[in-house]
Amino acid sequence: MASHPQAQAAAGTARGVDEGLDRPSRLERAEPWLFIAPSLILLLAVGLYPILFTAYMSTHNWVLGMGAPTFNGLGNFVDTLSSEEFRASVGRTLLLLAITLPIELALGMALALALNAQHNKVLRTILQVALVVPIAITPAVIGLLVQLMFDNQLGIINYFLSFFGVGQVDWLGTQVLAYTTVCIAQVWEWTPFVALVLSASMATVPPEIEEAAILETDRWWPRFKRVQLPFLWPGITAALVFQTAFVVKQFGMIYAIEKGGPGTATQTAMLHIERTAFRGFDIGVAAAESILMLIVSIVLAQIYIKVFYSEAE
Amino acid sequence: MEKEGLYRTLHALGILFALVVILFPLYWMIAASFKTQDELFSIPPVWLWAPTLDGYRKAITESPILHALFNSVIVTGASVLLGLLVGAPAAYGLSRYRFGLRKHIWFWYVTNWMLVPVVILIPFYLVASKLHMINNLLVLILVYQVFVVPLIVWLMVDQFRSVPIALEEAALLDGLSRFGVFLRISLPLVKPGMAVSAILSGIFAWNNLIYAYILTPSDQARPAPTIALSYLGGYIVPWTKVMASATMICAPVIIGGIIVHKYMARGLTLGAVK
Amino acid sequence: MKRLTNVLLSAALLGVAANANAWSLKEAAKPYQGTTVNVVGLERPSYKAAQELTPQFEKETGIHVNWVSFPYESTLKAETLNFVSHSQQFDLIITDVVWPVTFASADWVVPVQHFLDDPKLADPDIDLKDFFPVWRKAFTIDGKLMGLPFDSYAGLLYYNKSMLKDAGFDGPPKTWSELRDDYLPKLTDKDKGVFGYALQSAKGETQTADSFARFLWPFGGRFLDIDNKKVLVNSEKSREGEKFRQSLMKYMPDGIVADDHAQAVALFSQGKAAMITEWSAFYPTLKDSKIADDLGIAPEPKGPDGRYSAFGGFAYMVSAQASKKKQDAAWLFMQWLTSKEMGKPLVEHGAVVARQSVDTDPEIQKQFPHLKPMVTTWEGSVVPDWRPQLQCYPKFSEIVSDWGTRIQLGDVSVDDGLDKMNADLSKYMDSANCWKSANQPRQVKLDD
Repeated sequence: MASHPQAQAAAGTARGVDEGLDRPSRLERAEPWLFIAPSLILLLAVGLYPILFTAYMSTHNWVLGMGAPTFNGLGNFVDTLSSEEFRASVGRTLLLLAITLPIELALGMALALALNAQHNKVLRTILQVALVVPIAITPAVIGLLVQLMFDNQLGIINYFLSFFGVGQVDWLGTQVLAYTTVCIAQVWEWTPFVALVLSASMATVPPEIEEAAILETDRWWPRFKRVQLPFLWPGITAALVFQTAFVVKQFGMIYAIEKGGPGTATQTAMLHIERTAFRGFDIGVAAAESILMLIVSIVLAQIYIKVFYSEAE
Repeated sequence: MEKEGLYRTLHALGILFALVVILFPLYWMIAASFKTQDELFSIPPVWLWAPTLDGYRKAITESPILHALFNSVIVTGASVLLGLLVGAPAAYGLSRYRFGLRKHIWFWYVTNWMLVPVVILIPFYLVASKLHMINNLLVLILVYQVFVVPLIVWLMVDQFRSVPIALEEAALLDGLSRFGVFLRISLPLVKPGMAVSAILSGIFAWNNLIYAYILTPSDQARPAPTIALSYLGGYIVPWTKVMASATMICAPVIIGGIIVHKYMARGLTLGAVK
Repeated sequence: MKRLTNVLLSAALLGVAANANAWSLKEAAKPYQGTTVNVVGLERPSYKAAQELTPQFEKETGIHVNWVSFPYESTLKAETLNFVSHSQQFDLIITDVVWPVTFASADWVVPVQHFLDDPKLADPDIDLKDFFPVWRKAFTIDGKLMGLPFDSYAGLLYYNKSMLKDAGFDGPPKTWSELRDDYLPKLTDKDKGVFGYALQSAKGETQTADSFARFLWPFGGRFLDIDNKKVLVNSEKSREGEKFRQSLMKYMPDGIVADDHAQAVALFSQGKAAMITEWSAFYPTLKDSKIADDLGIAPEPKGPDGRYSAFGGFAYMVSAQASKKKQDAAWLFMQWLTSKEMGKPLVEHGAVVARQSVDTDPEIQKQFPHLKPMVTTWEGSVVPDWRPQLQCYPKFSEIVSDWGTRIQLGDVSVDDGLDKMNADLSKYMDSANCWKSANQPRQVKLDD
């Protein structure tokens, strides 16, 4: 029985369990499959064909309405990688990640600490309830609200800002600012999720260790570093993996804000792929682009797990 | 101690500030649903006004939103149910057993979950239309499994691991089959995990737009979120009608989330359990 | 005896006369009773009107009409997927003026003549010539009429009468130069947040059709020279036009590049913009808004090359993939919907139709004043290929929209931007072999 809970946990999320029963018999070896089989069959039935078909599309020159698909090997991939527009859109996605993840972690941590504190139980409960709201609202509705609230002349945000002496900020008409609103919306939407994950992780810290640490030192930061942080690494990693997927997959919200505008300022990889597929109807190229993005997401996920789990061990 | 008091106040202020930031957009949406278009856009904003049900009236009479909400309930409920049905045992299997292909299976789940809907859409559509399943709610229920099942498995693996082995071993010695142990001993103990994964995957299923738009576009079959967004393409955005629809669409999910909020904070452990 | 002969003769004549008008919708629809037809609609007033009046058709024919509505953005996507996958989701589809080549080239729709040749289905009163010629031309591909027009637009100049009066103008500008040189300086006061003109330029079709094209045609610029397979967006005149557009930027609100129809209309109705050039479809909205009393409408201003108002609209077409029964039933509905008789009720319910008899009727014009400038536009200098009608239009439009936006944002100079746009368009047109199927509707142009 490993005495380091985090080591166990670390082995958990992505690598599976390291704790099992004693040497299994042949019958017992078949057992796990019985449990897992239904889900695998379902996913294979639903998901395998589309994935394979996407791979098929990606190696063909196929524009809807312009004739039958013709094989062109890796041509789509070459076109994609050399496409300045695609690279720019991927860059925007990665930039969005780089900006929002640290902010969400920091704010999420602060919220988690606030949730797990000892004071103000009523307020804490209200906060816990409120955290559900951003996660539950339809992302496209969030986008519409952004359009409404950040409007240059008629939006409420600028109205509030006017109290601080800031002039009318052209949120949606300027490229940099429009991108900023996307960052803001993304952070607003997903920080609560991070907060809940971290809060749950914090709750797993055994009280005795906490109390012992309080006796040792009065200062918060060393306590936090030595006692709580180790328990948080798996949660942080999980949060990072989830947030990465949420950012990469995000479509509805960004589209509802400004369809990728002004110009291409908020056109992330997903929006670019959608345009390729359903405005230009070039699904061969779009399929290639999607596969590339899938690889990017998985690579990122693997990186997080390597980096953050090494911390825990 | 003075310091205690100071911390308490700072803590309270911090939370209040967070609450305002978190809840203001929700307030704005609900308020907008009860305003007229002019009131909605007036600067300085109106904080007190005579609420009108015009937005709701228009939304209900001019769009099939009530039926769409009904569709959403069916699709979301069935998706989550199916997901739990296959996902809970899978999570149990992954949590208790150590076997070679474990990592690959994880990878398969994660890949499914990370699948980008936009392009996967086309093969789904092609297959669905060949099987004459367009505008059949069943097609959504099946397609949603792609992200529902991995999520459920991911969230419940941990919960199962927190069930003491001793309990299970005792039951096994008593003659209960492995499946019996799963069903009678472990499952009841992971209710928080079930609640969390149900509500979270339910939220994603409910809010899904892209698949719904293309696979079930008819008024008969479309789920609720497609209604709010349908106005985006019009020349004129009827904001009050949109916000009324949005409120009606978000209400069930938010209420559901509030009901299980306790579990949310405890159930999202995702790997931190002993 | 003679009397009997007369009676018999009269009866015979009456019988013949009666038979000559024997075609009735009810009769024609008899074999299709109980059929369900799936019709695509948009979330716009004309379709709402159509939906309101649909029960009339259903009662008369026993054919059930099932409306499936989409936002404009998704319509082409939904219809294309439907055809590519042969899913038979829709029997009667709606076509934007830039889509017919795609649909016709791929044989997804049935030419109108097919139904006209069937005396059982063709209403002798259909009077195709009653449709505005420009609309028939817009949907004629390779000499074949592919659909019947419905929900037609024209660009109009909406102006705020009192704002213009306060600045010393009795009426709206007649030319673009007038607008920029005389009107805008006096109407724009940036400190007060008031602008002379707002041009909707949001990314996508709005940029291509509303913003970019609007300053191409009146200045002599063009998109394509189909006969010589040349792209003309960087010709002398095109440059002139787009440079003119850039010169307007300083009189327009910041962030205009992000503004779509809704925002432009809102700016106007809130009194923040004195003039907009928007689609006729917004007349009902503006008539019911705050500034209804000050609302003035006029045809769009002229450029050095003449008056070219924005042109857009839709037509219904029958899906070639539907079963014959459904095709016929769909045809009956389409014919009914776009008929002369249904024109007036539709207009009264808020729709726009392309029937000359309806739109030039003085009584109807009195009730709906916006029809007059629309008719002027459709009868006068209008080009059905305001935007090129190509099989590969979607991507073509994307390229225009991208560069058009960048030019407007100031990311590239007008000259550079147009050169790059030209290069990209040429490359795409050549590689996709788009020249082959490009439609050449004859230009309809009159000098005022």
